[in-house]
Amino acid sequence: MRLAAFLLRRLLGLIGVLLGMSVLIFGIIHILPGNVAYSILGEFATPAAVAQLEAKLGLNDPLPVQYWCWLSAMLHGDFGTSIVMNRPAASLIGEALGRSALLAGLAFGLIAAGGISLGLYAATHRGRASDKVLTLAQFVLIAVPEFFWAILAVLVFASWLNLLPATGYAPFDAGVADWAAHLVLPVLVLSFGLVAHVSRLTRSSMLEVLDSRFVLAARARGLPERRVLWRHALPNALLPAITVLAIDAGLLIGLAIDAGLLIGGIVVVETVFAYPGLGRLLVYAIERHDLPLLQVGMMVVTAIYALANFVAELLYAALNPRIRVAGAAA
Amino acid sequence: MPLSRRTLIGSSLAAATAVAIRPAHAAANVLRIGISTSLNTLDPMMVTTGDEYIYANLVFNGLARMREDLVVEPDLAESWSYSDDLKRWTFRLRRGVKFHDGQEMVADDVVASFRRLLDPAGTSPVRSQYDMVESVSAPDAATVVFQLTIPYGGLADILTDRQVKIVPRSATAQLATQPIGTGPFKFVSYTAGDRLVLARHPGYFESGLPKVDGVELRIIPEMSVKISALQAGDIEVLWDLPLEQVKTLSARPELRVDSVPTASWDGAILNNDIPPFNDKRVRQAFHLAVDKKEIVELTLFGQGVETISPIPPSHPFYAKDVVVPKADPAAARKLLAEAGHPNGIKLPIILPVGRPVRERLGVTLQQLAKAGGFDLQVQRLPYSSFNAEVSGKAPLYIDGFFARPTVDTSLFPFLRSKGSWNERLWHYSDEAVDRALDAARSSADPAVQKKNYIDMQAALVANPASFFAYSVNYACAYRKSVAGVKTHPMKWFDLRNATLG
Repeated sequence: MRLAAFLLRRLLGLIGVLLGMSVLIFGIIHILPGNVAYSILGEFATPAAVAQLEAKLGLNDPLPVQYWCWLSAMLHGDFGTSIVMNRPAASLIGEALGRSALLAGLAFGLIAAGGISLGLYAATHRGRASDKVLTLAQFVLIAVPEFFWAILAVLVFASWLNLLPATGYAPFDAGVADWAAHLVLPVLVLSFGLVAHVSRLTRSSMLEVLDSRFVLAARARGLPERRVLWRHALPNALLPAITVLAIDAGLLIGLAIDAGLLIGGIVVVETVFAYPGLGRLLVYAIERHDLPLLQVGMMVVTAIYALANFVAELLYAALNPRIRVAGAAA
Repeated sequence: MPLSRRTLIGSSLAAATAVAIRPAHAAANVLRIGISTSLNTLDPMMVTTGDEYIYANLVFNGLARMREDLVVEPDLAESWSYSDDLKRWTFRLRRGVKFHDGQEMVADDVVASFRRLLDPAGTSPVRSQYDMVESVSAPDAATVVFQLTIPYGGLADILTDRQVKIVPRSATAQLATQPIGTGPFKFVSYTAGDRLVLARHPGYFESGLPKVDGVELRIIPEMSVKISALQAGDIEVLWDLPLEQVKTLSARPELRVDSVPTASWDGAILNNDIPPFNDKRVRQAFHLAVDKKEIVELTLFGQGVETISPIPPSHPFYAKDVVVPKADPAAARKLLAEAGHPNGIKLPIILPVGRPVRERLGVTLQQLAKAGGFDLQVQRLPYSSFNAEVSGKAPLYIDGFFARPTVDTSLFPFLRSKGSWNERLWHYSDEAVDRALDAARSSADPAVQKKNYIDMQAALVANPASFFAYSVNYACAYRKSVAGVKTHPMKWFDLRNATLG
């Protein structure tokens, strides 16, 4: 009973968030400077041509009317047409989303594996030179933005060593090796900063556990150090890291957005590596003032966030009954 | 499994080895060109950006085409003639030309293509450029007649333009998604943000051409990545190389860099309608204040040349004998004082963010014009808002225009009183300029045109409309394996004879 009430509340909340965001997205997009008619007509935009095109695109209707048309069409499954490209927005976004999800999924795997193992290594080598080097490297990775690593990676691996392609995408049907080789650099660069985040987190929680009494007790009983580390300390230390990764995993259902970091990174990485994903598509839509495409793209990102949060909350509630009770009582 | 140092190192080594297998290049005889932005449209009538012009010229043909030396030659038309009053033009079509779907191109297709372009309810961005066309008709399957409202000597020239391509009359609805043309390459697929794939048109009307099996336009926004891709051999051609890269890349043994003069120009737009540039003396003072040669060095790294008007110095109609006053800041200040500005003029100059060359031009002008009494305050605005907020409103800003295929189309709308661009940019009016422009377009004789255009440039020196800073070069970088391609001053590609060694 309580669970049902909880679910209903969360579901209503989800719908509310989506509706609210649709108003916000629509509003913000319509106060962006610039004009799609100018963007389509380019250097040939005469005032008469601009006026005619605006009328044709329905840009002269009052904003509430435009909003209602957009929302009701979307509820009927019509996601509109990119007015610059004159193609259905749904298929453009669908294809781009698939490619972004691939990139994000691979990066997520690397972040989980790399972040946890580096964190463990640093914690078990606390205070030694290797720990200090790792710590320094982690701070550098966190502090320096993706576009720097992206360009550096291109220069080193494509220009100098000529090991990997400079751009980040080859269609799958062009050959698996080609396709995979193109993915290496974008995935690596996308993971860099987040690997550092996760490994910092793992390191500190592992240190906390290593200093705790039950580890002391285990050592006092004369257990071999290996056993202390792997059997006693690790499972406890991993909890916080797993929690963070679980949220990520929840988000992975959609796109593996690590609290906005991954999607921000995706926009940068996709642009530098010329990877045709959702990030590039959104940048394109913003540059050209392709409002229908931008609106739908933003709504998709919003929906992914909202859904992922929803799933994460359900997971928490399932794992921790106290959340459920508090949620129902509040 | 417990993680140990050994497994960590081992697995990362394994990953590194797996990664280092660089795949062999895909289809060998396909030319890959790196461009900057996604194409907005596949409909040739709607193209407005340089990236799109490349596509339009590979997939479609016009009635006439322009060679790299700017000479106009027949394309889908075999020949043409005009009436004595220049108001009736007759084009004889080439026979046996096949569209990519196998259908034959006939006069009805030409008529339909132009009716589509001229349709008042349509959205063609260039319709106003063909205002003089009263009607287009097809007396027989191989003849097309243009009836004009005014005598116009340059009709065949403007039919080389990027938007006036011939499309099949039965397939106009699919031009946005599955375009069909008569060009040397046919459309295969397009992925926004990634690539446009074209394949050789086996039925192309010039037998034996094109020589390569296909062309791919790779969309790579980041210049450093594009250059890396070229050096690594992921692309063979880098379109529109930034001018600061010309010297660096020329030194690379595997590359060939070509930098050619064009009719594209940048300049400072002076609004003749509002103070201070409504006073001719202030416009003259602005021209005296700075040395255009120095601007070319500082802004273009020498990859361009100073000019009087949009006619580039490489063009036969350029007025090389007209004396342009040398830069003289003292004289500029004196003129300003005469015009009622004894302490010089302080005003903002707006620069387009996202157009790096033009931003450089603005900053250079701001520095150089100081000596001549112009205290300019730099303001930066996104280029996308220029049309709506700056054009025609600000007294002074930086802009520039892509080359147009004929002298008339690059001058008349800009400098003739009430011309469409004149009205939007600077509101200039000069009787001598008007006379010369009118006379030039109502003759098909190059000698008459040349005389009038030189008169126009002389009048422009005496009474400046705006500050035409320079004609900018256009550069492309090629891997040396590419042969048979000349760099086209209109920034598109003719790849009929291209080969890959």
